[in-house]
Amino acid sequence: MGLASVNTASEGMQLCIFDLRRGQQEGQELDKILFFFPADLPFATQLSVIGLSEGLITFTRIFSPDAACEVIEAERHSHVFYEAESDIWMVMVVDKSKESKAACQVDALRKVLKEVHSLFVLFHGTMRSMLEKETSGGLIRSHLYPFITDYLSGCGDLNLTCNFWADFLIGRKLQLPSFHDCLMERGTVQMLTVGREAAIEVQSLVKVLECSAGTTSCYSLVLFQDLLVSTTLSPDDTISLFTYAVLRLTPHALSSGATSWSYLQRTNAGSQVPALSTITNSGSVSDNIYRSRDASLDQENNCQVKRPLHHNRWFRGNDGFLASDIWGTDNGSQTSVTPIVYLQLTEERMYLCAYQHKSLTIILLVPVSSILNGEQGLSLVKQQVLENASLKMLMVEEKLSKGWGGENAYHVSGYRYLLVDDERVSRASPPAKVMTLAKESLLALSKLREEVNLEKKRAKCSSSEVNCDKELEICVRAKNGAWVIARTSRGKELYMVLEKASETLLYAADSVEKFSNRYCSGVFSLD
Amino acid sequence: MKERNTTSTLKRILVNCSSQAKEYGGCVAKKVPEVERDMCLKEFLALKNCMQNVCLTSVFCYIKNFSMSANASSSQLTVGLSGSGGLSHAYVQYPPLKCNLPGSRGLYYDDANKLLLSPTSDQVFSWKTVPFSPHVAATADYINEGPVLSIRYSLDAKSIAVHRSNQEIQFFQRETRETFTHMCKSESESILGFFWTDCPVCDLVVVKTSGLDLLTVSFTSKSVNLVETKKLSVNWYVYTHGSRLVLLASGMQCKTLTGFQLSSVGIVRLPRFEMVMAKSDANSKPVLAAEDVFIITVYGRIYCLQIDRVAMQLHSYRFYRDAVVQQGSLPMFSSKISVSVVDNVLLVHQVDARVSILYDIFEDSRAPISAPLPLLLRGLPQSHTGRPVNVGESLDRNSSNHELMFYGDDWTFLVPDLICDVASKSVWKIHLDLEVISSSSSEVPSNLEFLQRRKLEASKTKQLCLAITRAFILERRPVTMVAKAIDVLVSSYSHSVKTCSNLKETKVDEASASVGTNASNSSRSAKDESRVGVGDKSFNLSASDSDDQSREIDSRDLQKSGKENLLGAESSRGEVQSSSLHTQQLGLGNNQLNANNSERQDSQLTSPAISPDEMYSCVFVPVGEEIVGDPSYLVAIIVEFLRSTNSEKIKVRPNIYVFTIQLLVRYERFAELSLLIINKVLEPSKEVAMQLLESGHQNPQMRKLALDMLRQLSLHHDYVTLLVQDGCYLEALRYARKHKVTSVRPSLFLEAALASKDSQHLAAVLRFFSDFIAGFRNTPEYQDYFRILNEMNTGLAV
Repeated sequence: MGLASVNTASEGMQLCIFDLRRGQQEGQELDKILFFFPADLPFATQLSVIGLSEGLITFTRIFSPDAACEVIEAERHSHVFYEAESDIWMVMVVDKSKESKAACQVDALRKVLKEVHSLFVLFHGTMRSMLEKETSGGLIRSHLYPFITDYLSGCGDLNLTCNFWADFLIGRKLQLPSFHDCLMERGTVQMLTVGREAAIEVQSLVKVLECSAGTTSCYSLVLFQDLLVSTTLSPDDTISLFTYAVLRLTPHALSSGATSWSYLQRTNAGSQVPALSTITNSGSVSDNIYRSRDASLDQENNCQVKRPLHHNRWFRGNDGFLASDIWGTDNGSQTSVTPIVYLQLTEERMYLCAYQHKSLTIILLVPVSSILNGEQGLSLVKQQVLENASLKMLMVEEKLSKGWGGENAYHVSGYRYLLVDDERVSRASPPAKVMTLAKESLLALSKLREEVNLEKKRAKCSSSEVNCDKELEICVRAKNGAWVIARTSRGKELYMVLEKASETLLYAADSVEKFSNRYCSGVFSLD
Repeated sequence: MKERNTTSTLKRILVNCSSQAKEYGGCVAKKVPEVERDMCLKEFLALKNCMQNVCLTSVFCYIKNFSMSANASSSQLTVGLSGSGGLSHAYVQYPPLKCNLPGSRGLYYDDANKLLLSPTSDQVFSWKTVPFSPHVAATADYINEGPVLSIRYSLDAKSIAVHRSNQEIQFFQRETRETFTHMCKSESESILGFFWTDCPVCDLVVVKTSGLDLLTVSFTSKSVNLVETKKLSVNWYVYTHGSRLVLLASGMQCKTLTGFQLSSVGIVRLPRFEMVMAKSDANSKPVLAAEDVFIITVYGRIYCLQIDRVAMQLHSYRFYRDAVVQQGSLPMFSSKISVSVVDNVLLVHQVDARVSILYDIFEDSRAPISAPLPLLLRGLPQSHTGRPVNVGESLDRNSSNHELMFYGDDWTFLVPDLICDVASKSVWKIHLDLEVISSSSSEVPSNLEFLQRRKLEASKTKQLCLAITRAFILERRPVTMVAKAIDVLVSSYSHSVKTCSNLKETKVDEASASVGTNASNSSRSAKDESRVGVGDKSFNLSASDSDDQSREIDSRDLQKSGKENLLGAESSRGEVQSSSLHTQQLGLGNNQLNANNSERQDSQLTSPAISPDEMYSCVFVPVGEEIVGDPSYLVAIIVEFLRSTNSEKIKVRPNIYVFTIQLLVRYERFAELSLLIINKVLEPSKEVAMQLLESGHQNPQMRKLALDMLRQLSLHHDYVTLLVQDGCYLEALRYARKHKVTSVRPSLFLEAALASKDSQHLAAVLRFFSDFIAGFRNTPEYQDYFRILNEMNTGLAV
């Protein structure tokens, strides 16, 4: 156990989820905890972390009832708060002492929490509804543990064991954002830019898909490589489904160990921690703790818990549809069970069917209510989709690949940039190009972004009635002589690092202007 | 005896083909109220096949059987359709053109001038058949007494030539009544016939047993001059003015044919070719008769149809400049066959079976476009009969005025679309009922394709196409099917736009076509075809050439002729003159028609092609009104429409985009809408931006898209105004300075600045305008706000 705590401490991170509505009686405090990482921490420590967080939340709520505290900066730790659902809080405690994490933006960390939550909701529905379904909390705990562990551990070595506790403790490297990621934005989608003709073809395909599924209330998401081409979902659902697709469904995700241009799979060169030796002896400890606590549920749940983020469990079927054994197999036909996802806005339950042809991934969401006899009805829908749309899909794939400029399609030489539109869509220099930047530049940008985020929040608070977003322009010269620039205008944000720009500010501003005119249709051109 | 014979064959058939007969019968019985084209075709073909096999040796039996089955089906039809007024794919309109004159010595048809001629002892009466009107008055011209074998007016209508005997043709000048006679030189040859031509070298072509004589006719010298002789032994000949093609038959069986095309660009000799004739047995040698060969002009291409009585097939040949290519055969169900061409649709009249079968030989398919149905008589006064008249029914129920026997022996089919009833001296014009043809087809895309090729009643056809498309969408057919139908309409439109611009170069051509008469059509197509034979510059047409290619050739051909006109080549100039002459004549006719019938105004349309605008106003908007619930189906179809127009490079007006936005906004499909806007599927325009702004009340994202669009379109004034409205007056000012927008009133900015209660900003705005607009300091606005600003500042100071 001692060894284990050393192990996790070296990760320098704690993550907990707790429900303020639970465990209000003395002696029942443990009931609050829905999730705690590292799990092998003594309960006393866990409770103290949660107790502190709860205290802070209650305290800050006195002054700001709508938005309680967001972050505490202590001497050695940062506490990042995120209220995922009302009264359900996610708190991440990050060790500041480690230099690599020091410059990590708070905002990026919060986005991680947000992403975990939205993915969880996508597959399991809201935590609150789960708690209502099963008040003891055993159900949600048994789901949260594997889910978050799967999420946090990047795609690593092949996972052969079934016992997730074993996975959990064999020292997987956690994937946390660092300053290296400051030229990307989590929780946004990356779009493929297409010409009008291709766009019409895509739309035509989307419509055919919708019509061939038989019901009008189905939705679709079309991806090319790891980029979004089309969606008919609401923005929030689009983001969570897109995130999942990029994590697990796209051709890159399917062939693990693929090329590294997609940021989500990129091994983080900066935080390369030597793999820790396998220490499994502590597994039994935590195992026992939870076994004893949820003894009644454990037997059933351990087998029933689905792990949508489990690695390497999706594969391409013969018919082109992606299948996974995560949700088990159908007893009758030996085909794998199609997952069901929840839409955030309507809370509708939808079957998730994913089809892949070369680089094209199409996700079709069919309402569960519209399919009468489960898998059988679904396979009919799939057949129909293939009949009606397969030709179109071939054509669209061909058209898109023709126009596709490769991994570095959106690279603009001389610039390292990040463009965020409305906090939903982003585009950035390819990660491989960002890697060429000096550490100083990245650290400076990381700081700058933090600054801009603060500014944005202030603007939001002060002038909430005016829907005109704050305009902002900051140019900073980093220690190494690079220009680090941020501009926001009408909901659009541009971050940029110019390392080879010469001395004058004028020149830097000029470069931004050029970039803005060329690639953003002049949105950031102030004059 | 005969009776018994047939019953025995019938018996044989019933024994041998009972299963097929049962299937066909069952199929028909199942569908009886709705009669469709190709209804139970599969079963019918199976039965037919079987029957054919059974009575292989007896042609008679076959025909008999067919006519029997045709009768049976038509009687079913009358049963099934008597309520709906009777349906047939083609009809003749009552009343006919009556050419009944006392002392008439027969009826002649001059297909070059489209005149019906009826000579009496010393006069010849002529009726114009184009445009066809039953009330047209006859014109009389004087000729001398004498036998008449045929009469033709010259192309300039100034003189008349009368074929008197085997040796003699007599000429009359209409105005001066001058006359002279042209005699055959030698006794050994006799004149088979003659025709006038617009060929540059000669006026008149006389076909003799020894070949062709090309002559010029001069009334001043009262003589004809021989220009050229084409020596050839001729048994009989066939000529139509529409094709300018004369086919000369020679040989024992008369199946060796030589063709000459005598068009305004010159004379082309076609290669000699042999007709295919099946032999009933080794020794028999069937002889081809002139009645067995038809020249038809369809889509500007010239075909020849030949009856093969033994094989019971109608062989078709297509003429190219340097080749004659056999194209395939149509079935014959009657020993007497006649053909008509109406609006480029081929009608094969199976006279004995009393039905007509329609073919559209645009594509290579030899499948009929409709089931065999009889021609129908329409517009008969109520007193005659309450219901449509069908096969062979005598119309003469109440009145003995005229006896009309459908498909009777007295019927003569005139080129291209007239029927002359010799007994009652009446002439009928065949019309197609496109509505019936299209309603009997379930394949909407191919049906639309067929309709889009019809030129005669363009506006009617267009309305029909629109109605079909509307219904097709309202029935919520699969999007892919609707997409196909839309593709057909759009490509047809794009084709018509292209040819239209080409025809502008060749000027009058299109105008003459716009008369919408068959004459102009066929003359134009003849010109097209004649251009195929222009010179060495033209293309080599191989035997394997497909229809698509030849369609291309048609349009290329037109372009070429346009160029030729520009070059001012002699020959083409001549052609221009002749064709403009032609149009003048037709134009006159058209005016008369307009005087008669004002609703023809609409039919000035040259083609039933549907423009995107009409698609919008006549299809999408009405459908949008009728469709209830989720609009995604309609949006899907609009997207298909945009795809189609985009691939054909046709511009679409913004109203369709605005409509799409309205549809999507009504059901709050903002995600899709913003994708459509971002990807410019809905092309940016001011209208689109304004519509987006309107929906911006519901979704701020839309407002943003609208603003972006305005900026990209450089609609500075609107952009600045909207920015100020949003309260972003500083940004608006910056933008105004950059793009020198002075049209927005300063007071707007000042009000916005005042509303923000920031005296610094107000001061800045005030200062900006006093710099930006000369003389601003002297306006009352400046004074007002200067005062306000001072008050604010003193207020602060206090």
